[in-house]
Amino acid sequence: MAKTYDYLFKLLLIGDSGVGKTSILFRFSEDAFNISFISTIGIDFKIRTIDLDGKKVKLQIWDTAGQERFRTITTAYYRGSMGIMLVYDVTNEKSFENIKNWIRNIEENASADVEKMILGNKCDLDAKRQVSKERGEQLAIEYQIKFVETSAKDSLNVEYAFYTLARDIKAKMEKKQEASNPPGNRSGVHQLKDSDRQRKPTSWLSRCSLL
Amino acid sequence: MSSSSVEDIPEQCRDLFTQDGVLLKSCMGRPISDLNSIGMLCIVQNVDSSKCIEWRPNDLITIDSDTQDQEWAVVNTIGRRQRTLSGNMTSDYAAARARIIRIQLNELKTFKCSRNNQQMQFSTKPGVWHNTFYFQHGNAEIFVANLKNHVKTAKTRHDRNTYVVVEPNVESQELNRSFAELDIFTENTTDVVWNFVHNFKQRPYATTMEAFSKLNDIVYYGNEAVNGKRDVTEEVADLLTKSMSALEDATSVTRSDEYEVINVKPTLPPRPCIPRGTSLSTEKWEGLHDTEGRITEVEGVKQLIFRGGVANSIRHSVWKYLLDYHPWTMTHAEIKVLQKKRTEEYFSMKLQWRSMTEGQEARFSEYRDRKSLVEKDVNRTDRTHPFYAGDNNPNLVILQDILMTYVMYNFDLGYVQGMSDILAPLLLLLGNEVDSFWCFVGFMDKIASNFDMDQAGMKQQLLNLQQLLMFASPELARHLAAKDSANMYFCFRWLLVWFKREFSHKDIMRLWEVLWTGLPCANFHLLICVAILDSEKDVIMHKDCGFTEILKHVNDLSMCLDVDRILSTAEGIYHQIISAPHLTDQVCVILGIPTVGAKPEEPEEPEVPQAGPTNGNAVTYNPDMEEVTLEYNGLQISVVTQTVWALLA
Repeated sequence: MAKTYDYLFKLLLIGDSGVGKTSILFRFSEDAFNISFISTIGIDFKIRTIDLDGKKVKLQIWDTAGQERFRTITTAYYRGSMGIMLVYDVTNEKSFENIKNWIRNIEENASADVEKMILGNKCDLDAKRQVSKERGEQLAIEYQIKFVETSAKDSLNVEYAFYTLARDIKAKMEKKQEASNPPGNRSGVHQLKDSDRQRKPTSWLSRCSLL
Repeated sequence: MSSSSVEDIPEQCRDLFTQDGVLLKSCMGRPISDLNSIGMLCIVQNVDSSKCIEWRPNDLITIDSDTQDQEWAVVNTIGRRQRTLSGNMTSDYAAARARIIRIQLNELKTFKCSRNNQQMQFSTKPGVWHNTFYFQHGNAEIFVANLKNHVKTAKTRHDRNTYVVVEPNVESQELNRSFAELDIFTENTTDVVWNFVHNFKQRPYATTMEAFSKLNDIVYYGNEAVNGKRDVTEEVADLLTKSMSALEDATSVTRSDEYEVINVKPTLPPRPCIPRGTSLSTEKWEGLHDTEGRITEVEGVKQLIFRGGVANSIRHSVWKYLLDYHPWTMTHAEIKVLQKKRTEEYFSMKLQWRSMTEGQEARFSEYRDRKSLVEKDVNRTDRTHPFYAGDNNPNLVILQDILMTYVMYNFDLGYVQGMSDILAPLLLLLGNEVDSFWCFVGFMDKIASNFDMDQAGMKQQLLNLQQLLMFASPELARHLAAKDSANMYFCFRWLLVWFKREFSHKDIMRLWEVLWTGLPCANFHLLICVAILDSEKDVIMHKDCGFTEILKHVNDLSMCLDVDRILSTAEGIYHQIISAPHLTDQVCVILGIPTVGAKPEEPEEPEVPQAGPTNGNAVTYNPDMEEVTLEYNGLQISVVTQTVWALLA
């Protein structure tokens, strides 16, 4: 099977229920917005391949259910993700406060070097705003994570957010590659190698046994 | 022979490495009763500092071992016999000790790790596998890695999973290597390869045997004909691998020193195709009530509904019975009284939260959180359906009020995502706030464990589903296990809201009312899952879907499923399972049917006169009998009771 991309990045959207994770993903993958979304049950993902500095980067973006009760299921999917979008709703104070809990959740379940970004969604609803942009920025500084306010509805900063996260992952990966001795492709491209391995059928003789 | 019973365990043996969850699958010279028991595989250092591989049955190991957390593990379904214990504990212990198996490392010649790290075989003599172990958790590679620290090994050239122990015995090593390097395609050309592939498709078993006979020839008469290198394309490799495993799966081999018995593994009987019936009609429904309104033939009604569902015109009435709001035995008058009582009850609970002041709310965060969660979900529940569409739709307010009142009704459970999906079709059909609430309560009583705080109910169901699939469609279950999907997480949405997201409104009403009957067995909704997965088996397996592709494919099935076909398939699978000769207790427990051991001796049935033509499929009806028997391909299926038959007529 011919590979149609240079890199495959697995990303994850997390945050409280109703902050707009699915809307952000829908905006990014389909460039559309639907006021009557349904809540996410379980887990789903969407794919979009972007061009990043001449490289084709396939983004596999996982969307999760936000309610705490489902966390045992959703955290199972943290494994192997290379970038995480932490989403809160600027019109919902509680969802902002919970970002700290989500960060703790990541620390417990995702790999240590996962790239993170905080998104303050629904910034189009200025009249209902409960969390100022400054507070978002402050939180981001505190955790040394990049931050941007987005609006899935008005298509504001959604592209920017995903490109930024992807670029950071790519930079980190290439840095790792350089660090690991000759130009061999070692640690950084784990994900890619894994998916390659999956596609290859195992040697036929591996199943051949003397009855 | 290396594997020998050990009467007494030397006290100074030291466990160098132990691994739990290892099942003894076959062992030369051991009685069948010793097989299929679970235990621990160890690498042990003997007193004289020589080492051996030791397998101990679990009966020997005290329960306090906490390493066996199998909550999410792949659990095999090889019929695990419940040993009948006789005598006192000490003799049991001695018996268990006698079942220990040891293989001295200095005698070990070859070992093999196969079936996606689920199986390990050991040999002390070339060409004969003395012991086979099954790794419940599919983690044999860990044992291999540790074993390699104690013996020097070389991989055979053509089978990556077979290891030859190189150190101790040079002679046998040579022999093993020659085995591995044999080439079965003696005639060289690619035509042969393609013929081979073609034959595999046409008659896999015969072709495999032919290949083996060639192998045999080479062993006996040398390998002169080999010239040039084999050039097998990956496609060929794939086909061969598949055929091999099909053959492996279909047979089991019992060996003793003198002979081999090759058994065909028990397979499920053919799946009967049971047509769906017609839905329960208004006339039938009315005819079922006695003069005062009681319904006495409850089982019969449920059978009818199970077979064909309920006509839409009477759903609003029938659902109240199916969801335990209206008791079957109540008269019309009694129901009227009950309704009045339940209405008052509802509004008093509603008043509890409606009368909450803003100040109270501000100091009651748990209540506030639930309220906001309900609001969020109500605003995104079935909004594309005309009944819930548009801004300021009053039906959304009712949806919200019912869910909020349910929070007061069951504050421990509160509101969990998915509940709005469960309620929406009920309100849509019943239209009435109070009726919808009490029907919702009845539905929630059936599926409350789906919403457990710790998700224990969901985990249990996913595990049960995996076990049922392993029994009903083992090939697919193994494929899923190999693709990191044995946890069945991709079925989470199906189970949480009983397929609400997978079907249209019209179809979900049909599916739910059939499932509410509780027929033909407990957990029939899990067989619905099995039916859907089984019908997607070819896609999932042929595309060689990985973990992500499986999830995607399953999620994308939403709104593409045929409810009647699935119900019919699920019922067929049910009959396949219960008439399987190798039905296990585990499966029986899941389906709530008497376990195999507990089955009462059935008296010889009098011969039922065949009414139909002699094609083997017939419906027989005897007015004196309580049951109507449908015969399909030799399977007898009891379908309806006498009364229902009369109703159907």
